Amino acid sequence: MAETLNVGIDLGTSRSAISASNGERFVVDSFVGWPLDMVARKVLKRDVLIGHEAVANRTMLDLHRPLERGLLKEGSEKDVEAVRELLKHLLRLVGVNGKSDAANVRAVVGVPAAALRTNKQYLRNSMKGIVDSLLIVSEPFAVAYGLDALLHTLIIDIGAGTTDFCVMKGRYPTEEDQRTLTIAGDTIDAQLLKLMEERYPQANVTLFMVRDWKEKFSFVGEPKAPVVVTAPVKGVPTEMDITNEMKAACEAVVAPTVETMLDLLAKVEPEFQERVRNNIILSGGGGLIHGLAQALEDALKAVGGGKVRATDDPVFIGSDGGLALASDAPEGDWEKLSA
Amino acid sequence: MSAGNTTDRLKRRVLREAVAENIDVIRGVPPRALRRHSRWTRLWLRRASFVLLPLTLAGSSYMIANGGDAAMPPRPLMQIASASVQPPVAPLPDRGVTTPERMAASAFPLSVRRVVLDAGHGGTDPGATAGGLLEKEITLDIGRRLQSLLTQSGFEVVVTRDADHTIALKDRAELANAAKSDIFVSIHVNAIVKHTEVRGIETYYLGSTNDPSLTKLAAAENRISGYSVSDMRSLVEDVYANARSAESHQLATVIQKNLYSSLRADDAALENWGVKRAPFLVLVGTQMPAVLAEVGCMSNEKELAMLRRPEYRQKIAEALHQGIRSYASAGDAPQKKGIEKNG
Repeated sequence: MAETLNVGIDLGTSRSAISASNGERFVVDSFVGWPLDMVARKVLKRDVLIGHEAVANRTMLDLHRPLERGLLKEGSEKDVEAVRELLKHLLRLVGVNGKSDAANVRAVVGVPAAALRTNKQYLRNSMKGIVDSLLIVSEPFAVAYGLDALLHTLIIDIGAGTTDFCVMKGRYPTEEDQRTLTIAGDTIDAQLLKLMEERYPQANVTLFMVRDWKEKFSFVGEPKAPVVVTAPVKGVPTEMDITNEMKAACEAVVAPTVETMLDLLAKVEPEFQERVRNNIILSGGGGLIHGLAQALEDALKAVGGGKVRATDDPVFIGSDGGLALASDAPEGDWEKLSA
Repeated sequence: MSAGNTTDRLKRRVLREAVAENIDVIRGVPPRALRRHSRWTRLWLRRASFVLLPLTLAGSSYMIANGGDAAMPPRPLMQIASASVQPPVAPLPDRGVTTPERMAASAFPLSVRRVVLDAGHGGTDPGATAGGLLEKEITLDIGRRLQSLLTQSGFEVVVTRDADHTIALKDRAELANAAKSDIFVSIHVNAIVKHTEVRGIETYYLGSTNDPSLTKLAAAENRISGYSVSDMRSLVEDVYANARSAESHQLATVIQKNLYSSLRADDAALENWGVKRAPFLVLVGTQMPAVLAEVGCMSNEKELAMLRRPEYRQKIAEALHQGIRSYASAGDAPQKKGIEKNG
């Protein structure tokens, strides 16, 4: 019998990660690009580019981010193809080399909760034929499973396209246990770009630049240090202080996150509310926003206080959770999940 | 039992449930939650139609029998029958509740006093975005301008949001119903990412459509509702044959006409995409004539630049205002009385 490889994949709107049972772990930007024309193909020497390579060569590519805003757009063949390319690429990174590979690959794929809610069937069909067996779960659930946080816990997973909330009540989360906001990392980028255009109308700034700055310097509350970045103004690299803009852009996610968090907490059975309040886990890229956990704790004071902790390893927490699910699933179940 | 055992037990349970859900998907069984929801909604809609239509017809008969009552507060459905200027209408034959077309605007003139304005998106839902501009900001700004114009003209205006709030589509419709509004106007801005060269104006009213591009647009606008496209379709089928259709079409027509003729003066390349039917959730829930206007196209660079200008947004608000006034005055005198009284 062929050797079995279990993998956990976090298919994110911004980044996708894979953790495999052979010990390999990789993360790539969720961008897939195809050369725009013959010239581009000749220059790039590739039919398809993925991750940071795709971003770096975006001017020559038809660039796709397949799960933008947390959904796989129905009817968009390019988006489906992009998801497939992304999955194949991740599998290649951990040593699965397509058809010739004899290993029996079993994958647990975590996707934004909204994608799973609206088009499960479509999502599953889109991933057909890439691995031997496939289990698709919502991303916050994979995180909760990986952390053994299955009871009286609230997971807040702030990604690029969506912020997913999931109260774990010791069961597989239902509709009422989950919420999705489309305000997330991308909203911060758009807001930051807008604020910068207002303050520095002469500066030449792109969404990709502000995304990089956000990942390095994001904060809410008090800054650790002034945020100074360099961008071209009429072609001349110029230093700009964007401390206030960064703060305002990042703080745009606080109010809706607090509102949804409190709303979900209020719907937990009264006797468990305190336990859930003290078990709030912040994952995804948003967990890296300096001061966000504190801001959420401050908001919890109005309802009796609580504890919010950011996960230590936001990059692989979801894929590690997926791998744990893959490893724990009984043999008999995998047979029913052939893909 | 030790904590470790409890965790293991929980893990086995949630894993089993996750696998069961995936197997349902493989077998093509609809998700459990959605099955419940959709059945409930259909049941509600069916019940609602049985309750609302007899009430409406009974209300109409009552009003006609009493010759109308000017002191009655404006109530959208009853008001259709309340006009005192109408020539005598033949008594409604007792044919049950299957003839909604008898309530069409042509049968009873309209009186519009209360308008609900719905600035599309908001809060956590930015709508379309382009060049750092968010749809929710444009719609709110135009909504505020329109509110001011309508108030000056003597209309009572109720807004679904007056700031950057997240409001569910269903709540917007419910607010309009609770406000007993006469008409509902939802303001949106288009974004046609694959054809950034085009720009145009279009106005929608509720109905099912087979046009894939409209289905896609409705899916995008309904996204935060949590319904799938197919779910939406069956929802709309249920309420499709409703009494508001003709009035909504008429309202959409005058709004579209005013928007296009006014905005085209600024931009000769602006296209008239006309009045269309589409299944927007916000229009499904409203109990009064309701339209959704896509007042511009953020995906077009030139138009985006224009939308950044307050004067252009004011112009859009004025065109919407003119459209609403035309619709209101097509009906009757009570509106004019309202203007004199308030203005």
